[in-house]
Amino acid sequence: MNAQRETAVIQVSGLTKTYGTVHALNGLDLTIPRGGVYGVLGPNGAGKSTLFRILLGLIRPTEGTATVMGGAVGDVAAMRRMGSMIETPRFPPYMTARMVLRWLALEHGVGGETDIPYWLERVGLTEAADRKVRGFSVGMMQRLGVAASLMSRPELVILDEPTSGMDPPGIQDMRALIRSLATEDGVTVILASHQLSEVQRICDRVAIMNRGKLVLEGAVSDLTAAGGERLRLVGTPVEKVLGALSVRATRDGDAVLAEIKRPDAPALIRALVEQGVDIHEAKWVGADLESIFFNETGAVQEADNAR
Amino acid sequence: MLVDALKAESYRFSLNRVLVFVSVLLTPLLFALGGALFHWVTKTNGEKAAKAANLTVTVPSEAVNLGDAFGFAASGCANGFVLICVLIAAATIYAGDYRWETWRLISARNDRTSLILAKVGVVKIIAIVSSLFFLIASVIFGLTQALVYQRGLTFSIAGGELGGIGLTWLLSYVRIVQFTLVGLLAAVMTRSLLAALIAPWALGFLQSIFGQIAPPLLGMDTGGWTMQLLLPGLAYDTLKAAVEGPLEAPLTAAVVWKSLIGLGLWTVVPLVAALAWFNRQDLSKE
Repeated sequence: MNAQRETAVIQVSGLTKTYGTVHALNGLDLTIPRGGVYGVLGPNGAGKSTLFRILLGLIRPTEGTATVMGGAVGDVAAMRRMGSMIETPRFPPYMTARMVLRWLALEHGVGGETDIPYWLERVGLTEAADRKVRGFSVGMMQRLGVAASLMSRPELVILDEPTSGMDPPGIQDMRALIRSLATEDGVTVILASHQLSEVQRICDRVAIMNRGKLVLEGAVSDLTAAGGERLRLVGTPVEKVLGALSVRATRDGDAVLAEIKRPDAPALIRALVEQGVDIHEAKWVGADLESIFFNETGAVQEADNAR
Repeated sequence: MLVDALKAESYRFSLNRVLVFVSVLLTPLLFALGGALFHWVTKTNGEKAAKAANLTVTVPSEAVNLGDAFGFAASGCANGFVLICVLIAAATIYAGDYRWETWRLISARNDRTSLILAKVGVVKIIAIVSSLFFLIASVIFGLTQALVYQRGLTFSIAGGELGGIGLTWLLSYVRIVQFTLVGLLAAVMTRSLLAALIAPWALGFLQSIFGQIAPPLLGMDTGGWTMQLLLPGLAYDTLKAAVEGPLEAPLTAAVVWKSLIGLGLWTVVPLVAALAWFNRQDLSKE
Protein backbone atom coordinates (compact mmCIF):
# COMPACT_ATOMS: atom_id res chain seq x y z
CA MET A 1 0.00 0.00 0.00
CA ASN A 2 2.82 2.38 0.93
CA ALA A 3 4.73 1.54 -2.22
CA GLN A 4 1.57 2.18 -4.22
CA ARG A 5 1.15 5.54 -2.51
CA GLU A 6 4.67 6.55 -3.43
CA THR A 7 4.15 5.77 -7.09
CA ALA A 8 0.59 7.08 -7.35
CA VAL A 9 -0.15 10.81 -7.73
CA ILE A 10 -3.90 10.36 -7.38
CA GLN A 11 -5.79 7.74 -5.42
CA VAL A 12 -9.53 7.72 -5.41
CA SER A 13 -11.63 5.22 -3.51
CA GLY A 14 -15.40 4.82 -3.54
CA LEU A 15 -15.79 8.41 -4.67
CA THR A 16 -19.42 9.42 -4.98
CA LYS A 17 -20.96 12.79 -5.72
CA THR A 18 -24.68 13.19 -5.96
CA TYR A 19 -26.71 16.21 -6.97
CA GLY A 20 -30.21 15.44 -5.80
CA THR A 21 -30.95 12.10 -7.43
CA VAL A 22 -28.22 12.39 -10.05
CA HIS A 23 -24.99 10.48 -9.44
CA ALA A 24 -22.22 12.53 -11.04
CA LEU A 25 -19.73 10.05 -9.57
CA ASN A 26 -20.84 6.63 -8.48
CA GLY A 27 -18.32 4.86 -6.26
CA LEU A 28 -15.32 5.62 -8.46
CA ASP A 29 -12.06 3.79 -7.70
CA LEU A 30 -9.03 5.04 -9.59
CA THR A 31 -5.28 5.12 -9.11
CA ILE A 32 -3.21 7.33 -11.37
CA PRO A 33 0.47 6.43 -11.41
CA ARG A 34 3.29 8.93 -11.32
CA GLY A 35 4.87 9.84 -14.65
CA GLY A 36 3.68 10.23 -18.22
CA VAL A 37 0.50 11.68 -19.64
CA TYR A 38 -2.75 10.22 -18.34
CA GLY A 39 -6.00 10.78 -20.21
CA VAL A 40 -9.41 10.78 -18.58
CA LEU A 41 -12.08 10.15 -21.17
CA GLY A 42 -15.80 9.88 -21.12
CA PRO A 43 -18.91 11.27 -22.77
CA ASN A 44 -20.55 14.40 -21.43
CA GLY A 45 -21.89 13.68 -17.97
CA ALA A 46 -19.43 10.83 -17.36
CA GLY A 47 -18.09 12.58 -14.26
CA LYS A 48 -14.69 13.77 -15.50
CA SER A 49 -15.16 17.40 -14.50
CA THR A 50 -16.71 16.39 -11.17
CA LEU A 51 -13.68 14.21 -10.48
CA PHE A 52 -11.30 17.07 -11.29
CA ARG A 53 -13.29 19.51 -9.18
CA ILE A 54 -13.15 17.18 -6.21
CA LEU A 55 -9.41 16.64 -6.69
CA LEU A 56 -8.91 20.42 -6.68
CA GLY A 57 -11.06 20.87 -3.58
CA LEU A 58 -13.61 23.01 -5.41
CA ILE A 59 -16.41 20.69 -4.32
CA ARG A 60 -16.72 18.04 -1.64
CA PRO A 61 -17.55 14.42 -2.39
CA THR A 62 -20.72 12.95 -0.98
CA GLU A 63 -18.83 9.78 -0.08
CA GLY A 64 -15.40 8.27 -0.55
CA THR A 65 -11.86 9.51 -0.31
CA ALA A 66 -9.36 11.12 -2.62
CA THR A 67 -5.68 11.77 -2.13
CA VAL A 68 -3.46 14.02 -4.22
CA MET A 69 0.33 13.63 -4.03
CA GLY A 70 -0.11 11.50 -0.94
CA GLY A 71 -2.14 14.09 0.96
CA ALA A 72 -5.86 14.45 1.43
CA VAL A 73 -7.61 16.95 -0.84
CA GLY A 74 -7.31 20.28 0.91
CA ASP A 75 -3.90 19.48 2.40
CA VAL A 76 -2.23 22.65 1.16
CA ALA A 77 1.32 21.25 1.27
CA ALA A 78 0.28 18.39 -1.03
CA MET A 79 -1.94 20.57 -3.21
CA ARG A 80 0.93 22.99 -3.79
CA ARG A 81 2.78 20.24 -5.62
CA MET A 82 0.01 20.31 -8.22
CA GLY A 83 -0.99 22.79 -10.93
CA SER A 84 -4.32 22.86 -12.69
CA MET A 85 -6.43 24.41 -15.37
CA ILE A 86 -10.13 23.61 -15.28
CA GLU A 87 -12.26 24.64 -18.25
CA THR A 88 -11.39 27.80 -20.14
CA PRO A 89 -9.75 30.02 -17.54
CA ARG A 90 -10.70 33.64 -17.05
CA PHE A 91 -8.62 36.39 -15.50
CA PRO A 92 -9.22 39.92 -14.20
CA PRO A 93 -9.58 41.87 -17.47
CA TYR A 94 -7.41 44.81 -16.41
CA MET A 95 -4.32 42.60 -16.07
CA THR A 96 -1.75 41.77 -18.71
CA ALA A 97 -0.56 38.19 -19.22
CA ARG A 98 2.64 39.00 -17.32
CA MET A 99 0.66 40.51 -14.43
CA VAL A 100 -1.55 37.42 -14.26
CA LEU A 101 1.46 35.16 -13.87
CA ARG A 102 3.06 37.46 -11.30
CA TRP A 103 -0.19 37.56 -9.33
CA LEU A 104 -0.58 33.78 -9.38
CA ALA A 105 3.08 33.28 -8.50
CA LEU A 106 2.50 35.40 -5.40
CA GLU A 107 -0.78 33.64 -4.64
CA HIS A 108 0.86 30.24 -4.85
CA GLY A 109 3.86 31.21 -2.76
CA VAL A 110 6.30 30.92 -5.63
CA GLY A 111 8.94 33.63 -6.03
CA GLY A 112 9.10 32.63 -9.67
CA GLU A 113 9.23 36.10 -11.19
CA THR A 114 12.23 35.15 -13.30
CA ASP A 115 10.26 32.17 -14.62
CA ILE A 116 7.54 34.36 -16.10
CA PRO A 117 9.27 35.06 -19.46
CA TYR A 118 10.21 31.37 -19.67
CA TRP A 119 6.64 30.13 -19.28
CA LEU A 120 5.24 32.85 -21.54
CA GLU A 121 7.63 31.70 -24.21
CA ARG A 122 6.83 28.04 -23.67
CA VAL A 123 3.12 28.61 -24.26
CA GLY A 124 3.77 31.01 -27.14
CA LEU A 125 2.59 34.21 -25.48
CA THR A 126 5.83 36.22 -25.41
CA GLU A 127 4.56 38.79 -27.89
CA ALA A 128 1.28 39.18 -26.02
CA ALA A 129 2.93 39.33 -22.59
CA ASP A 130 2.09 42.97 -21.97
CA ARG A 131 -1.35 42.99 -23.56
CA LYS A 132 -4.41 43.18 -21.34
CA VAL A 133 -6.18 39.82 -21.17
CA ARG A 134 -9.54 41.43 -21.97
CA GLY A 135 -8.46 41.30 -25.63
CA PHE A 136 -7.33 37.67 -25.56
CA SER A 137 -8.96 34.95 -27.67
CA VAL A 138 -10.16 31.72 -26.04
CA GLY A 139 -7.03 29.96 -27.31
CA MET A 140 -4.77 32.61 -25.76
CA MET A 141 -6.64 32.30 -22.48
CA GLN A 142 -6.04 28.54 -22.62
CA ARG A 143 -2.31 29.09 -23.19
CA LEU A 144 -2.13 31.54 -20.31
CA GLY A 145 -4.07 29.14 -18.11
CA VAL A 146 -1.58 26.38 -18.89
CA ALA A 147 1.34 28.73 -18.13
CA ALA A 148 -0.36 29.68 -14.85
CA SER A 149 -0.73 26.03 -13.91
CA LEU A 150 2.97 25.43 -14.54
CA MET A 151 4.35 28.55 -12.83
CA SER A 152 5.13 26.74 -9.60
CA ARG A 153 6.90 23.89 -11.44
CA PRO A 154 4.45 21.30 -10.08
CA GLU A 155 5.04 17.55 -10.05
CA LEU A 156 1.49 16.98 -11.22
CA VAL A 157 -0.65 19.08 -13.52
CA ILE A 158 -4.35 18.59 -14.25
CA LEU A 159 -5.56 20.05 -17.53
CA ASP A 160 -9.21 20.01 -18.52
CA GLU A 161 -9.61 20.34 -22.29
CA PRO A 162 -6.27 22.13 -22.75
CA THR A 163 -6.65 22.55 -26.52
CA SER A 164 -10.24 23.78 -26.47
CA GLY A 165 -10.65 26.89 -28.60
CA MET A 166 -7.18 26.65 -30.15
CA ASP A 167 -6.35 26.79 -33.84
CA PRO A 168 -4.54 23.79 -35.42
CA PRO A 169 -1.01 25.21 -34.95
CA GLY A 170 -1.92 26.03 -31.36
CA ILE A 171 -3.16 22.46 -30.81
CA GLN A 172 0.09 21.11 -32.23
CA ASP A 173 2.16 23.39 -29.96
CA MET A 174 0.11 22.42 -26.91
CA ARG A 175 0.45 18.73 -27.73
CA ALA A 176 4.22 19.14 -27.97
CA LEU A 177 4.30 21.10 -24.71
CA ILE A 178 2.32 18.42 -22.86
CA ARG A 179 4.56 15.65 -24.15
CA SER A 180 7.69 17.57 -23.24
CA LEU A 181 6.36 18.26 -19.74
CA ALA A 182 6.12 14.53 -19.20
CA THR A 183 9.29 13.44 -20.98
CA GLU A 184 11.68 16.34 -20.26
CA ASP A 185 10.37 17.97 -17.08
CA GLY A 186 9.19 14.78 -15.39
CA VAL A 187 5.74 16.22 -14.71
CA THR A 188 2.79 13.87 -14.48
CA VAL A 189 0.06 15.31 -16.70
CA ILE A 190 -3.57 14.33 -16.29
CA LEU A 191 -5.82 15.63 -18.99
CA ALA A 192 -9.41 15.38 -20.07
CA SER A 193 -10.20 15.83 -23.70
CA HIS A 194 -12.92 15.06 -26.18
CA GLN A 195 -10.35 14.85 -28.97
CA LEU A 196 -9.83 11.10 -28.87
CA SER A 197 -7.22 11.02 -31.64
CA GLU A 198 -5.28 13.65 -29.71
CA VAL A 199 -5.49 11.61 -26.53
CA GLN A 200 -4.26 8.53 -28.38
CA ARG A 201 -1.27 10.50 -29.65
CA ILE A 202 -0.12 12.06 -26.41
CA CYS A 203 -1.36 9.86 -23.56
CA ASP A 204 0.50 6.91 -22.13
CA ARG A 205 -2.47 5.62 -20.14
CA VAL A 206 -6.17 6.36 -20.17
CA ALA A 207 -9.19 5.86 -17.97
CA ILE A 208 -12.56 5.71 -19.66
CA MET A 209 -15.46 6.79 -17.48
CA ASN A 210 -19.16 6.49 -18.04
CA ARG A 211 -22.02 7.48 -15.75
CA GLY A 212 -19.70 8.24 -12.87
CA LYS A 213 -17.87 4.93 -13.00
CA LEU A 214 -14.60 3.66 -14.38
CA VAL A 215 -15.28 1.34 -17.29
CA LEU A 216 -11.78 0.78 -18.63
CA GLU A 217 -8.26 1.69 -17.59
CA GLY A 218 -4.87 0.87 -18.98
CA ALA A 219 -1.94 1.74 -21.19
CA VAL A 220 -3.06 3.06 -24.58
CA SER A 221 -0.78 0.58 -26.37
CA ASP A 222 -2.28 -2.38 -24.44
CA LEU A 223 -5.86 -1.22 -25.02
CA THR A 224 -5.49 -0.70 -28.75
CA ALA A 225 -3.62 -4.01 -29.12
CA ALA A 226 -6.38 -5.85 -27.30
CA GLY A 227 -9.13 -4.04 -29.15
CA GLY A 228 -8.89 -6.29 -32.21
CA GLU A 229 -9.68 -5.42 -35.79
CA ARG A 230 -13.04 -4.54 -37.27
CA LEU A 231 -14.65 -4.50 -40.69
CA ARG A 232 -15.25 -0.99 -41.97
CA LEU A 233 -18.21 -1.01 -44.35
CA VAL A 234 -19.23 1.89 -46.55
CA GLY A 235 -22.70 1.16 -47.85
CA THR A 236 -25.91 2.96 -48.70
CA PRO A 237 -28.22 3.59 -47.10
CA VAL A 238 -26.02 3.57 -44.01
CA GLU A 239 -29.04 3.24 -41.69
CA LYS A 240 -29.98 0.05 -43.48
CA VAL A 241 -26.44 -1.28 -43.02
CA LEU A 242 -26.68 -0.63 -39.29
CA GLY A 243 -30.16 -2.14 -39.08
CA ALA A 244 -29.27 -5.23 -41.06
CA LEU A 245 -26.21 -6.20 -39.08
CA SER A 246 -26.67 -8.95 -36.55
CA VAL A 247 -23.25 -8.29 -35.00
CA ARG A 248 -22.11 -5.46 -32.71
CA ALA A 249 -21.51 -2.36 -34.80
CA THR A 250 -20.99 1.39 -34.44
CA ARG A 251 -21.43 4.17 -36.89
CA ASP A 252 -18.32 6.02 -38.05
CA GLY A 253 -19.45 8.91 -40.24
CA ASP A 254 -20.68 7.43 -43.50
CA ALA A 255 -19.28 4.06 -42.57
CA VAL A 256 -20.12 1.31 -40.11
CA LEU A 257 -17.56 -0.54 -38.00
CA ALA A 258 -18.60 -4.16 -37.52
CA GLU A 259 -17.04 -6.44 -34.93
CA ILE A 260 -16.76 -9.75 -36.70
CA LYS A 261 -14.14 -12.37 -37.33
CA ARG A 262 -12.45 -12.53 -40.77
CA PRO A 263 -14.04 -15.86 -41.85
CA ASP A 264 -17.52 -14.43 -41.24
CA ALA A 265 -17.03 -11.37 -43.45
CA PRO A 266 -18.07 -12.81 -46.87
CA ALA A 267 -21.33 -14.14 -45.47
CA LEU A 268 -22.07 -10.84 -43.80
CA ILE A 269 -21.49 -8.84 -46.98
CA ARG A 270 -23.58 -11.31 -48.99
CA ALA A 271 -26.42 -10.94 -46.52
CA LEU A 272 -26.28 -7.18 -46.71
CA VAL A 273 -26.39 -7.20 -50.52
CA GLU A 274 -29.35 -9.57 -50.42
CA GLN A 275 -31.14 -7.09 -48.18
CA GLY A 276 -30.72 -4.35 -50.78
CA VAL A 277 -27.67 -2.58 -49.40
CA ASP A 278 -25.13 -1.22 -51.89
CA ILE A 279 -21.65 -1.95 -50.56
CA HIS A 280 -19.08 0.53 -51.86
CA GLU A 281 -16.14 -0.37 -49.68
CA ALA A 282 -15.17 -3.00 -47.13
CA LYS A 283 -11.81 -3.04 -45.37
CA TRP A 284 -10.26 -4.24 -42.14
CA VAL A 285 -9.21 -1.57 -39.65
CA GLY A 286 -7.32 -1.86 -36.37
CA ALA A 287 -8.83 -0.76 -33.10
CA ASP A 288 -8.18 2.82 -32.14
CA LEU A 289 -8.96 4.63 -28.94
CA GLU A 290 -12.07 6.08 -30.51
CA SER A 291 -13.58 2.70 -31.29
CA ILE A 292 -12.62 1.40 -27.85
CA PHE A 293 -14.20 4.47 -26.32
CA PHE A 294 -17.46 4.02 -28.18
CA ASN A 295 -17.57 0.33 -27.47
CA GLU A 296 -17.08 0.92 -23.79
CA THR A 297 -19.42 3.85 -23.40
CA GLY A 298 -21.96 2.79 -25.99
CA ALA A 299 -22.11 6.40 -26.89
CA VAL A 300 -23.03 6.21 -30.52
CA GLN A 301 -25.06 9.35 -30.26
CA GLU A 302 -22.13 11.11 -28.62
CA ALA A 303 -20.01 10.09 -31.57
CA ASP A 304 -22.43 11.69 -33.97
CA ASN A 305 -22.50 14.84 -31.88
CA ALA A 306 -18.73 14.96 -31.69
CA ARG A 307 -18.48 14.79 -35.45
CA MET B 1 -0.25 30.80 3.35
CA LEU B 2 -1.96 33.95 4.63
CA VAL B 3 1.11 36.01 3.76
CA ASP B 4 1.11 34.67 0.18
CA ALA B 5 -2.57 35.44 -0.20
CA LEU B 6 -2.11 38.91 1.28
CA LYS B 7 0.76 39.71 -1.09
CA ALA B 8 -1.20 38.46 -4.09
CA GLU B 9 -4.39 40.27 -3.12
CA SER B 10 -2.64 43.59 -2.51
CA TYR B 11 -0.70 43.21 -5.78
CA ARG B 12 -3.94 42.59 -7.66
CA PHE B 13 -5.59 45.59 -6.00
CA SER B 14 -2.63 47.85 -6.84
CA LEU B 15 -3.04 46.98 -10.54
CA ASN B 16 -6.63 48.16 -10.60
CA ARG B 17 -5.87 51.86 -10.87
CA VAL B 18 -9.47 53.00 -11.12
CA LEU B 19 -10.28 51.16 -7.91
CA VAL B 20 -7.22 52.55 -6.12
CA PHE B 21 -8.23 56.08 -7.11
CA VAL B 22 -11.88 55.67 -6.14
CA SER B 23 -11.27 53.91 -2.83
CA VAL B 24 -8.32 55.83 -1.49
CA LEU B 25 -7.94 59.18 -3.23
CA LEU B 26 -11.33 60.33 -4.43
CA THR B 27 -12.92 61.39 -1.13
CA PRO B 28 -9.88 63.23 0.28
CA LEU B 29 -9.34 64.90 -3.08
CA LEU B 30 -12.97 66.02 -3.31
CA PHE B 31 -12.87 67.15 0.31
CA ALA B 32 -9.66 69.15 -0.14
CA LEU B 33 -10.67 70.70 -3.48
CA GLY B 34 -14.24 71.28 -2.31
CA GLY B 35 -12.91 72.92 0.84
CA ALA B 36 -10.66 75.25 -1.13
CA LEU B 37 -13.51 76.14 -3.45
CA PHE B 38 -15.85 76.68 -0.50
CA HIS B 39 -13.43 79.11 1.18
CA TRP B 40 -12.79 80.99 -2.02
CA VAL B 41 -16.48 81.31 -2.95
CA THR B 42 -17.46 82.29 0.60
CA LYS B 43 -14.79 84.94 0.74
CA THR B 44 -15.54 86.32 -2.75
CA ASN B 45 -19.29 86.43 -2.11
CA GLY B 46 -18.72 88.00 1.28
CA GLU B 47 -16.51 90.67 -0.22
CA LYS B 48 -19.01 91.37 -3.01
CA ALA B 49 -21.89 91.64 -0.55
CA ALA B 50 -19.86 93.88 1.73
CA LYS B 51 -18.87 96.11 -1.18
CA ALA B 52 -22.48 96.39 -2.31
CA ALA B 53 -23.58 97.28 1.20
CA ASN B 54 -20.61 99.59 1.60
CA LEU B 55 -19.36 97.67 4.63
CA THR B 56 -15.86 96.85 5.70
CA VAL B 57 -15.08 93.15 5.91
CA THR B 58 -13.37 92.13 9.07
CA VAL B 59 -11.46 88.89 8.84
CA PRO B 60 -10.81 87.08 12.12
CA SER B 61 -7.21 87.58 12.94
CA GLU B 62 -6.57 84.45 14.97
CA ALA B 63 -4.60 81.67 13.33
CA VAL B 64 -6.32 78.61 11.87
CA ASN B 65 -5.75 75.69 14.20
CA LEU B 66 -5.00 72.57 12.14
CA GLY B 67 -5.43 70.53 15.30
CA ASP B 68 -9.17 71.31 15.16
CA ALA B 69 -9.28 70.15 11.53
CA PHE B 70 -7.55 66.96 12.60
CA GLY B 71 -10.07 66.31 15.33
CA PHE B 72 -12.96 67.00 12.97
CA ALA B 73 -11.58 64.56 10.38
CA ALA B 74 -10.85 61.83 12.92
CA SER B 75 -14.42 62.04 14.12
CA GLY B 76 -15.94 62.22 10.66
CA CYS B 77 -13.84 59.87 8.57
CA ALA B 78 -16.57 57.22 8.63
CA ASN B 79 -18.76 59.59 6.61
CA GLY B 80 -20.97 58.52 3.72
CA PHE B 81 -18.45 59.36 1.00
CA VAL B 82 -15.64 57.40 2.61
CA LEU B 83 -17.99 54.49 3.26
CA ILE B 84 -19.16 54.42 -0.37
CA CYS B 85 -15.65 54.64 -1.78
CA VAL B 86 -14.15 52.00 0.52
CA LEU B 87 -17.17 49.78 -0.03
CA ILE B 88 -16.68 49.94 -3.82
CA ALA B 89 -13.17 48.58 -3.33
CA ALA B 90 -14.31 46.04 -0.75
CA ALA B 91 -17.12 44.73 -2.95
CA THR B 92 -14.75 44.39 -5.91
CA ILE B 93 -12.19 42.57 -3.79
CA TYR B 94 -14.72 40.31 -2.04
CA ALA B 95 -16.78 39.44 -5.12
CA GLY B 96 -14.09 39.77 -7.80
CA ASP B 97 -13.14 36.11 -7.85
CA TYR B 98 -16.77 35.13 -8.40
CA ARG B 99 -17.16 37.75 -11.10
CA TRP B 100 -13.98 36.84 -12.96
CA GLU B 101 -14.31 33.11 -12.22
CA THR B 102 -10.86 33.01 -10.70
CA TRP B 103 -11.56 31.06 -7.52
CA ARG B 104 -10.69 27.84 -9.30
CA LEU B 105 -7.27 29.27 -10.18
CA ILE B 106 -6.32 30.13 -6.64
CA SER B 107 -8.37 28.11 -4.18
CA ALA B 108 -6.72 24.73 -4.85
CA ARG B 109 -3.33 25.87 -3.64
CA ASN B 110 -4.21 27.80 -0.51
CA ASP B 111 -6.60 27.28 2.37
CA ARG B 112 -9.88 29.06 2.06
CA THR B 113 -9.70 30.84 5.40
CA SER B 114 -6.41 32.47 4.40
CA LEU B 115 -7.87 33.57 1.08
CA ILE B 116 -10.77 35.35 2.75
CA LEU B 117 -8.66 36.80 5.57
CA ALA B 118 -6.24 38.18 2.96
CA LYS B 119 -9.11 39.99 1.28
CA VAL B 120 -10.27 41.36 4.62
CA GLY B 121 -6.69 42.40 5.35
CA VAL B 122 -6.40 44.37 2.12
CA VAL B 123 -9.74 46.09 2.74
CA LYS B 124 -8.55 46.99 6.25
CA ILE B 125 -5.42 48.55 4.77
CA ILE B 126 -7.56 50.47 2.28
CA ALA B 127 -9.75 51.69 5.17
CA ILE B 128 -6.68 52.83 7.11
CA VAL B 129 -5.14 54.62 4.13
CA SER B 130 -8.44 56.16 3.11
CA SER B 131 -9.15 57.49 6.60
CA LEU B 132 -5.56 58.75 6.97
CA PHE B 133 -5.83 60.54 3.63
CA PHE B 134 -9.05 62.06 4.91
CA LEU B 135 -7.09 63.43 7.86
CA ILE B 136 -4.56 64.90 5.45
CA ALA B 137 -7.38 66.37 3.37
CA SER B 138 -8.76 68.04 6.49
CA VAL B 139 -5.37 69.64 7.04
CA ILE B 140 -5.43 70.86 3.42
CA PHE B 141 -8.92 72.23 4.15
CA GLY B 142 -7.45 74.22 7.06
CA LEU B 143 -4.47 75.33 4.98
CA THR B 144 -6.63 76.69 2.17
CA GLN B 145 -8.75 78.47 4.77
CA ALA B 146 -5.61 80.16 6.11
CA LEU B 147 -4.42 80.95 2.58
CA VAL B 148 -7.70 82.36 1.31
CA TYR B 149 -8.34 84.48 4.40
CA GLN B 150 -4.62 85.25 4.86
CA ARG B 151 -4.66 83.98 8.40
CA GLY B 152 -1.84 82.41 10.32
CA LEU B 153 -1.51 78.72 11.00
CA THR B 154 -1.13 76.88 14.24
CA PHE B 155 -1.30 73.26 15.28
CA SER B 156 -2.35 72.73 18.80
CA ILE B 157 -3.99 69.73 20.34
CA ALA B 158 -4.30 69.63 24.08
CA GLY B 159 -2.63 66.64 25.68
CA GLY B 160 -5.92 65.11 26.73
CA GLU B 161 -7.48 65.63 23.30
CA LEU B 162 -4.87 63.68 21.41
CA GLY B 163 -5.98 60.40 22.96
CA GLY B 164 -9.60 61.28 22.23
CA ILE B 165 -8.82 62.05 18.60
CA GLY B 166 -6.95 58.77 18.28
CA LEU B 167 -9.83 56.90 19.86
CA THR B 168 -12.49 58.49 17.64
CA TRP B 169 -10.34 57.74 14.58
CA LEU B 170 -10.08 54.13 15.72
CA LEU B 171 -13.85 53.96 16.24
CA SER B 172 -14.46 55.42 12.80
CA TYR B 173 -12.03 52.92 11.31
CA VAL B 174 -13.84 50.03 13.03
CA ARG B 175 -17.14 51.38 11.71
CA ILE B 176 -15.79 51.44 8.13
CA VAL B 177 -14.44 47.88 8.46
CA GLN B 178 -17.67 46.67 10.08
CA PHE B 179 -19.68 48.15 7.21
CA THR B 180 -17.54 46.40 4.59
CA LEU B 181 -17.75 43.06 6.41
CA VAL B 182 -21.50 43.05 5.82
CA GLY B 183 -20.53 43.39 2.15
CA LEU B 184 -18.21 40.38 2.53
CA LEU B 185 -21.01 38.22 3.87
CA ALA B 186 -23.30 39.34 1.05
CA ALA B 187 -20.60 38.66 -1.55
CA VAL B 188 -19.90 35.15 -0.30
CA MET B 189 -23.54 34.22 0.07
CA THR B 190 -24.74 35.63 -3.25
CA ARG B 191 -21.52 35.52 -5.33
CA SER B 192 -22.57 38.96 -6.55
CA LEU B 193 -20.62 42.21 -6.62
CA LEU B 194 -23.82 44.21 -6.74
CA ALA B 195 -25.14 42.50 -3.62
CA ALA B 196 -21.85 43.21 -1.82
CA LEU B 197 -22.27 46.84 -2.74
CA ILE B 198 -25.95 47.22 -1.95
CA ALA B 199 -26.49 44.95 1.07
CA PRO B 200 -24.60 47.11 3.61
CA TRP B 201 -26.48 50.21 2.46
CA ALA B 202 -29.84 48.48 2.40
CA LEU B 203 -29.24 47.06 5.85
CA GLY B 204 -27.97 50.41 7.11
CA PHE B 205 -31.05 52.14 5.70
CA LEU B 206 -33.42 49.66 7.38
CA GLN B 207 -31.51 49.98 10.64
CA SER B 208 -31.69 53.75 10.42
CA ILE B 209 -35.47 53.64 9.87
CA PHE B 210 -35.81 51.20 12.76
CA GLY B 211 -33.67 53.49 14.93
CA GLN B 212 -36.00 56.38 14.16
CA ILE B 213 -39.30 54.64 14.74
CA ALA B 214 -38.51 52.11 17.46
CA PRO B 215 -38.19 54.50 20.43
CA PRO B 216 -41.46 56.38 19.85
CA LEU B 217 -43.55 53.53 18.43
CA LEU B 218 -42.23 50.52 20.29
CA GLY B 219 -41.11 52.32 23.38
CA MET B 220 -37.56 51.04 23.02
CA ASP B 221 -34.75 52.67 24.91
CA THR B 222 -31.78 53.74 22.73
CA GLY B 223 -29.50 52.68 25.56
CA GLY B 224 -31.12 49.24 25.82
CA TRP B 225 -29.69 45.93 24.65
CA THR B 226 -32.05 45.53 21.70
CA MET B 227 -31.26 48.88 20.11
CA GLN B 228 -27.53 48.68 20.76
CA LEU B 229 -27.25 45.13 19.42
CA LEU B 230 -29.45 45.67 16.40
CA LEU B 231 -28.04 49.01 15.30
CA PRO B 232 -24.26 49.17 14.81
CA GLY B 233 -24.60 52.76 13.62
CA LEU B 234 -26.21 53.71 16.93
CA ALA B 235 -23.54 51.81 18.85
CA TYR B 236 -20.85 53.70 16.91
CA ASP B 237 -22.52 57.07 17.58
CA THR B 238 -22.91 56.20 21.26
CA LEU B 239 -19.25 55.27 21.61
CA LYS B 240 -18.13 58.36 19.71
CA ALA B 241 -20.28 60.53 21.96
CA ALA B 242 -18.78 58.83 25.00
CA VAL B 243 -15.25 59.58 23.78
CA GLU B 244 -15.89 63.09 22.50
CA GLY B 245 -18.21 64.52 25.15
CA PRO B 246 -19.41 66.81 26.56
CA LEU B 247 -22.58 64.85 26.67
CA GLU B 248 -26.09 66.07 26.51
CA ALA B 249 -27.19 63.20 28.66
CA PRO B 250 -24.46 61.38 30.55
CA LEU B 251 -23.81 57.89 29.24
CA THR B 252 -23.59 55.18 31.77
CA ALA B 253 -20.82 52.61 31.64
CA ALA B 254 -23.48 49.96 31.01
CA VAL B 255 -24.64 51.65 27.80
CA VAL B 256 -21.05 52.07 26.61
CA TRP B 257 -20.44 48.36 27.18
CA LYS B 258 -23.59 47.48 25.26
CA SER B 259 -22.41 49.69 22.40
CA LEU B 260 -18.99 48.08 22.42
CA ILE B 261 -20.51 44.61 22.33
CA GLY B 262 -22.98 45.67 19.62
CA LEU B 263 -20.30 47.12 17.33
CA GLY B 264 -17.97 44.21 18.09
CA LEU B 265 -20.62 41.63 17.22
CA TRP B 266 -21.48 43.39 13.97
CA THR B 267 -17.78 43.24 13.11
CA VAL B 268 -17.05 39.65 14.12
CA VAL B 269 -20.29 37.85 13.22
CA PRO B 270 -20.35 38.72 9.47
CA LEU B 271 -16.70 37.68 9.18
CA VAL B 272 -17.20 34.36 10.99
CA ALA B 273 -20.39 33.65 9.04
CA ALA B 274 -18.69 34.45 5.73
CA LEU B 275 -15.77 32.16 6.59
CA ALA B 276 -18.09 29.33 7.60
CA TRP B 277 -20.15 29.73 4.42
CA PHE B 278 -17.11 30.04 2.16
CA ASN B 279 -15.40 26.98 3.63
CA ARG B 280 -18.34 24.83 2.56
CA GLN B 281 -19.04 26.55 -0.72
CA ASP B 282 -18.99 24.86 -4.12
CA LEU B 283 -16.43 26.97 -5.97
CA SER B 284 -16.95 25.26 -9.29
CA LYS B 285 -20.13 27.31 -9.78
CA GLU B 286 -18.99 30.84 -10.46
